[in-house]
Amino acid sequence: MTDVTRPPSIEGTQRHRERCAAPWLALCAALVAVACGSRAEPVKSSAATEASSSPRAGGELIFAFDGAAVSQFALDPHKSAFAPHHRVMRSVFDSLIVAQPDHQFGPWLAKSWEIAPDGLSYTFHLRDDVLFHDGTPFDAAAVKWNLDRIKDPKNALIALADIGTYDSSSVIDPHTVRVQFSRPYAPFLANLSKSSLGMVSPTAARKYGDEFPLHPVGTGPFKFKSLQPATEIVLERNAAYHWAPSGAAHTGPAWLERIVFKNVPEEATRMAVLQSGQAGAVDLIPPQNLASLRTSRDYHVVEGELLNQNYSLYLNVEREPWRDPRIREAFKLTLDLDAAVRTIYLGTQARAWSPLSPSIFGYDKTLEHSWRPDPARAAQLLDELGWKKGADGVRVRDGKRLTIVFLDTQGNREKRLDLITVLRRQLRDNGFDLRIDTQPAGLYLAKSASGDFDLLAGSLFAPDPDVLRRTHSGKVRTVTSVSRADDPELNQLLEDGCNQLDDEKRKQIYSRAQHLIVERGYGIPAYVLMYSVAAARGVEGIAIEQHGFPVFYDAWIHA
Amino acid sequence: MMRRVLGRLAASVGVVFGAVTLIFLILNWLPGDPAALIAGDAASPETVEQIRAQLNLDRPLWDQYRDCLIGITRGDLGRSYVTREPVATRLLAQFPATLSLTLSAGLIALVLGVTLGVLSARFHGRWPDQLIQLSALSVVSVPPFWLGLLAILCFSVYLGWLPVLGDGGFRADILPSTCLGLVVSVHFMRMVRSNVLDQLHEPYVTALRAKGLGQARVFYVHVLRNALIAAVTLLGVVIGELLSGAVVIETLFARQGLGRVAVEAISQKDLPVVQGAILLASITYVVVNLLVDVSYVWIDPRLRTDSLRGAR
Amino acid sequence: MKEALEQVAASVPVATLHAPQDELSEPRVARPSERVVAPAAQSSKPMAAGGSRLQAWTASAAGLVIATVLLWAIAPELIAPYAPTQMDGSAILLAPSSRHWLGTDQFGRDVGSLVVYGARQSVLMAIFAVLISCSCGVALGLVAGYTGGACDMLLMRAVDVWMAIPNILLAIAICTALDPSLHTTILAVSVTAIPRYARVLRAQVMAIRARPFILAARASGASHASILRRHVLPHCSSTILVLATLGVGSAILLGSSLSFLGLGINDERPDWGYLLTQGRGYLTVAWWTVTFPGLAITLLVIAVNTLGDALRRRLEPRGAAGTR
Repeated sequence: MTDVTRPPSIEGTQRHRERCAAPWLALCAALVAVACGSRAEPVKSSAATEASSSPRAGGELIFAFDGAAVSQFALDPHKSAFAPHHRVMRSVFDSLIVAQPDHQFGPWLAKSWEIAPDGLSYTFHLRDDVLFHDGTPFDAAAVKWNLDRIKDPKNALIALADIGTYDSSSVIDPHTVRVQFSRPYAPFLANLSKSSLGMVSPTAARKYGDEFPLHPVGTGPFKFKSLQPATEIVLERNAAYHWAPSGAAHTGPAWLERIVFKNVPEEATRMAVLQSGQAGAVDLIPPQNLASLRTSRDYHVVEGELLNQNYSLYLNVEREPWRDPRIREAFKLTLDLDAAVRTIYLGTQARAWSPLSPSIFGYDKTLEHSWRPDPARAAQLLDELGWKKGADGVRVRDGKRLTIVFLDTQGNREKRLDLITVLRRQLRDNGFDLRIDTQPAGLYLAKSASGDFDLLAGSLFAPDPDVLRRTHSGKVRTVTSVSRADDPELNQLLEDGCNQLDDEKRKQIYSRAQHLIVERGYGIPAYVLMYSVAAARGVEGIAIEQHGFPVFYDAWIHA
Repeated sequence: MMRRVLGRLAASVGVVFGAVTLIFLILNWLPGDPAALIAGDAASPETVEQIRAQLNLDRPLWDQYRDCLIGITRGDLGRSYVTREPVATRLLAQFPATLSLTLSAGLIALVLGVTLGVLSARFHGRWPDQLIQLSALSVVSVPPFWLGLLAILCFSVYLGWLPVLGDGGFRADILPSTCLGLVVSVHFMRMVRSNVLDQLHEPYVTALRAKGLGQARVFYVHVLRNALIAAVTLLGVVIGELLSGAVVIETLFARQGLGRVAVEAISQKDLPVVQGAILLASITYVVVNLLVDVSYVWIDPRLRTDSLRGAR
Repeated sequence: MKEALEQVAASVPVATLHAPQDELSEPRVARPSERVVAPAAQSSKPMAAGGSRLQAWTASAAGLVIATVLLWAIAPELIAPYAPTQMDGSAILLAPSSRHWLGTDQFGRDVGSLVVYGARQSVLMAIFAVLISCSCGVALGLVAGYTGGACDMLLMRAVDVWMAIPNILLAIAICTALDPSLHTTILAVSVTAIPRYARVLRAQVMAIRARPFILAARASGASHASILRRHVLPHCSSTILVLATLGVGSAILLGSSLSFLGLGINDERPDWGYLLTQGRGYLTVAWWTVTFPGLAITLLVIAVNTLGDALRRRLEPRGAAGTR
């Protein structure tokens, strides 16, 4: 008989346990089978697609983009200066004119236009067959409403900076509008072709008020359908669309039935989503993946330069010791940007020589290779200024260490922090002690407004060299001015450039301005951003327009 | 029993308010100016002041706190400082995603943990047990986002079995839920294993066997049930860990949810949103614990008897 | 017959059902944070000889890992072949080779040297975080458990509130409140860990409080403080040691999650969590940049957990006062 003090027989228990465990194991197996049911089908090419190489209507594109860690999408083109939002909004809002190569402009919502000889007014002749997504007609009154809305300081719209010296508009007839300026404003046409000055439906804006960013209504080839905050935006084809800009591959409605924009800021996840087939296309390919994607047969890559004030370093010239141009020169000469950019971007992005990216009007080529790193000369300058190397290698003057506090809030977007990490090492070798001070957005704004930093860095997408004025002019001070320069000669140049309508004269002005900015160390440009999109083989037609934003109008998916 | 439940309820409400207060205190020590953030790049100092007044940020702390509490009791969680939309709407739209992620992770953890715990106990001392223990130890020691990244690469990219991004379907939630639940399942596994092992050496089991009850009956009706009770207890504790882990998983898998909202709101010092998020998280925590406590009365007959005795 | 069986079943003190009064504050079940492994049931059963040999082997392996990491933390210059800050632009993302045993990262730094130097930050952070959370938590638990009454209730409610806020959100809130630095991370990690110690200690103290030897000490006129110090604390010391050892592992993992979310310290000598974060986009292209820091974290946490479990098995035989 069983002895009650001994444990139950092991063999008996085991056989019994076997039977007990079996159902559990079966359950697990079943779950696994269900989960692996059907493999995700990647959109791969097949022999059949060679035959059907003309666009076909229909299909849903899942586009994974780097929207950064936003808490909410603000889909009002006049309200946002954030490039990722515009990558979506370009498909929802049209502009009056479209940017073409060689700094030309073609008709879009405006069939044609004239500029008055004094440069103070532009008359646009609009198409008469355009409707907003809510059915209301697009007309001269709508254009006037849009521009007045931007101008009104009560609305506090970011696009205010894009309309410059705009004064008012007058409706000549339902499809003719005259736009007046108080002083000639040279950047106007370039800015007008941006999605930042896209045409918004006045009816919808009035109806939704503050909530318009959640219910965007424009005239674009795609209509806004829905969004999930910070995660996803769904656009649907606008069936009434037939006012494509000149230069598009077709007229008439877009081919794609629907686009789902998925916000995936995490690089590794974004690549995984493309490679697993869950997304048809993704953007901002990390440098380490770009090389293999370019040569892969399963994917094709399109790249385009983002018209941009390049990512540059801005020393706080209002703060000691950076007031002295010689120490800024020493700082600049210590940096080996060629090596840094090559290291981080693995040859996929070019080194920037000018604050303007190469395709912007007025880009000065003579700046290329105009200076080389010279740490020896930098060391000499620093010694002359009294900064001697201390025991730990950091330079000291009057007991003060040569510390640079770099204020950052964007994190490692586009590998910017990685670039700074390389530069930090270079600086350290010459006695500069760079500290990275990453702050959340709220504190970053407060600190940068009060000038509590030594170094800032950033970029600003813009199609016109007037962007330099927004950044470097001492007369324009906003809460987030990155450059604290207040150089009378530079200020004057930038004002003149803004009002000068003659192309040749403008080029000269900006050429001088770019040289000043670089030579006097107001801004040290780092790299030129090439916006890239990788699509699976079956997804065709995604293009990158002149400004560097993706266009889905001509995109289509193989059957 | 009713008295006990009511007592628990009162304590839970206290806990929730305590959590909201604690976060209010911490965040108001945060430097940084939400008014400047909202005013945006183009604003002048006057505009910033205007906005500060609009948001009532210039009033004494005590007033702000009092209004906040009053609002909560009325169900009005205020408006986000950054987007101006009502916090309640925003969070309630995001909350179901987190809730479903957390609960499915908990379920997976429970099922997986109990299964493995039983297996482990059954093969106690032999290689399946040791393998499970070693795997458990590894899973619990790996940085969670690395585990998630490896899972994405393995199951989504190389094998192609499961999608990464949410698409509203059930399959899309398997990978994130499992990653989240895997670490927690280890706790369940260990609990169940130790519990089952303990019980199998209890005299009562031998007694029941001696009385002639079959192996299966002894195991399923008594031993496993007691082990499950223990596992259920753990649910109440583990929910906090699940909510915490959800933040990393939501970020890695690009999902919307309470965790991501809270993280961004904290950095923007969007106090109403953060408080709302903490409120929801702590409510979840206490509700789950409350349910666990209440469920005891059903599961454990002794507690029922106790209360009856007490009532007399 | 059936009633008799049920009576037997019902009367057995199944170890995991607990006293109804204080579920929320004092479940006697093993807390997940304690990483319970096999119970002391093994001591009542003839253990297969292989089992304890395996345990001895794993315990020594764990000890070896910890000793190695400590060596790295104390004297990295002796081990690492390169300086961690040395960036070689011509040697980017090189696979492991004879020149760079663990390969190079995207900056051209030697991964092996980074891992060795990174030990110090990771270890310092974890040890200090545990020291702080342990002392505060133990103090809270002692006071709550010993005093009882209103003070106990108040403290335990505070602990409940603490635990109702998800760990990571609390840590993030603290990290964003203060300037990013090692101190901030230590503070954030330790604050989130305190309630765990408080609860466990409270339970222990309450179990001991009514024991004869404590009452005897009171009767002989000892002050509360000295009783706590000379009688209660030593009794709890093994629990504290086990918890603290396991807490080191949790601290490291929480630190790495904070790094992932962007709150790590961007230092010239990055800690392992930050290395993992910096390299995560390169997993498919250059697996060594992520894998080795990740392995370092994992192995250290495994070693620490194993050590903690071994300590628990030795110091807390079944039936002793306190929780499992």
